[in-house]
Amino acid sequence: MKKRCAELVEKSKGIVREAFEKFKPSEIAITWTGGKDSTTNLWIIRQVCLEDNIELPQVITIDEGDAFPEITDFLIRTSKKWNIDLKWLINFDVLKCCQSHLGNTVKVKDLNERNQAELKRIGFEEDSFTFEAESYAGNHLMKTVALNQFIEENNIKALFMALRRDEQAARKHDEYFTKKEGGYLMPDHTRISSILHFTERDIWNNIKLYNIPYCPLYEIGYRSLGARTTSNPMAVGVPAWEQDLEHTLERAGRRQDKEKAMDRLRRLGYM
Amino acid sequence: MKNVILLTVDALRKDDLGCYGDRSGLTPFIDSLQNKCIRFTKVQSIGPYTQASFPGILTSSYYLEYGRQKKLLPKRILISEVLKKSGIVTAGFHSNPYLSDYFGWNRGWDIFYDSMDADVNPEIPYIKGDEINNKVDEWLSSYIKEGKYKPFFLWVHYMDIHEPYTPERKYINTVDSSISISQDEMFNLFKNVVLKRDVSNRKTVRLLKKLYDSHVREADDYIKEFFGILEELNLLKNSVIIITSDHGDEFNEHGGLSHDGKMYSELIDIPLLIYDYDRVKAEVCDTLVSNVDISPTIIYLFGLEPVKDFEGCSLPPSEDYPKKGCFGEAIGKIGNKEKETDKPVYFYRENNLKVIYRESGNIWEMYNLKEDPKELNNIIDASSMAESMKKKLKPRIRRWIKG
Repeated sequence: MKKRCAELVEKSKGIVREAFEKFKPSEIAITWTGGKDSTTNLWIIRQVCLEDNIELPQVITIDEGDAFPEITDFLIRTSKKWNIDLKWLINFDVLKCCQSHLGNTVKVKDLNERNQAELKRIGFEEDSFTFEAESYAGNHLMKTVALNQFIEENNIKALFMALRRDEQAARKHDEYFTKKEGGYLMPDHTRISSILHFTERDIWNNIKLYNIPYCPLYEIGYRSLGARTTSNPMAVGVPAWEQDLEHTLERAGRRQDKEKAMDRLRRLGYM
Repeated sequence: MKNVILLTVDALRKDDLGCYGDRSGLTPFIDSLQNKCIRFTKVQSIGPYTQASFPGILTSSYYLEYGRQKKLLPKRILISEVLKKSGIVTAGFHSNPYLSDYFGWNRGWDIFYDSMDADVNPEIPYIKGDEINNKVDEWLSSYIKEGKYKPFFLWVHYMDIHEPYTPERKYINTVDSSISISQDEMFNLFKNVVLKRDVSNRKTVRLLKKLYDSHVREADDYIKEFFGILEELNLLKNSVIIITSDHGDEFNEHGGLSHDGKMYSELIDIPLLIYDYDRVKAEVCDTLVSNVDISPTIIYLFGLEPVKDFEGCSLPPSEDYPKKGCFGEAIGKIGNKEKETDKPVYFYRENNLKVIYRESGNIWEMYNLKEDPKELNNIIDASSMAESMKKKLKPRIRRWIKG
């Protein structure tokens, strides 16, 4: 196990070094949700920076307005420990329109021009939407738009992300470097998936082996952390790493049925 | 006993396939299969969109049979449930939200992948055919490795032709390399023209059809790749493969776009091919059949007893297939949003005559499909057959059914 972890980490470090050959640190940002994957990813990138004496790129986290306090707390604690100046990306305009309250209605006409244009871009044509984590419009504005705006304003050329191949079938053939072609309101950038080859089991083995910090929610049964209102523990009281990772679905605790289906339907042009 | 594979392609028009007479070469692979296929030339879908059609394909029942429900009622028996009970392994892979877990289509499958958990972007809001194939390949490979091989029923559904029409450059080039359009522009057409059902600009409608055609060419590649997977795993020889679509798509043939609640040929005429490696020559069947016949056919191919509740009949053996008309029903919504106040629309076809009844406005139409394949000349007031055709549809119109 030790050997496998070391090899996985070495491979990731190679990807990270390749990224630093292609982009300057100031052109890169590291996404960090506070989840086990992005924390592992950040730990690896930070090691490369320390070893090679490279300035750590900007670390960012998206606040979609429905975060677990445990995650927020973990992010703050770990930033201090690792001496990271974490940047929180928040779409304040949306929060203003719903008085930062989940379940409130956001009127499209109250939003600023950019947010309105963004909704138009994705084909959302209703007059209002409910502010909640899995709402189509809300999700887009709070996550995608906040990220795109940051990329644009900071001239970011590349993002470190913590996708894993075993996470979803659709990722099975993902590459380490993927170029995201831009368009209207969407800047060009490259996505670097430096821990693509880790499995969920590898992540936990690695965390335990190297004492990487993790959010305490994993101790009480959460396997995958999303928004607070849409994530549930998979096995209450059973730490994530003690669950049957190989035969159960990592994301089964995430609410996905209704809203996901509705979201897809809307995107296909129904509703 | 052979495995049975059902390959469905969302929104694939019958008249886009080379083997059904299209000349632009959009389906070279499907066309190349003809020597080992029975090709059905007159197939009706029971509905013009997924929710209205798939009850026919996978449950052999009609859309409004149990009233107007959004989810699939447990009363409806899915083919997967019947097969699983009979010891056949069942697996389904698709990316259509209307057929997802949430809407109740996950019953009876040993493996059910609806992709709702995957991230998609607005321009391609589904998992593409190559990724569906990867998923299927992964399952088939592991299934074979297990060693305790039992016959399986596999359903694979591709979404790639469905709007928003945003094909890759290489597929656009196969249709018309002079088209110069960016992804953003295609997506804008979707939002501003398709969603609004705006057919005022003929050139734009033609362009949309070309983008659609590009996706048809793309889907043909995925089907080719799928057959390649079967061949590689040595499964092609011992599988019967049914290829069909759930409905077509409209490009202003009757004043609209996409697939709304209408019963014209561009929406309810569908392709149907049954591929069998052991077939020695191409066969063509001109009998009028319906997609409610697909599940009974699968039951027959597995050598099982017919299911009482299924409304269709097995296609083979052809001498036992009863001569019957085809019926279909849907909510007659026009535009991309279905309203509570939208009322049903029905059709009944026999030979070359088709009668359509639209409850909203109490409108009857009748067409002679042989003389008027485009369904432009309504002969309901002129034809001597009108009354007898109406009489055949009327007992099917729900609000007139007593009790």
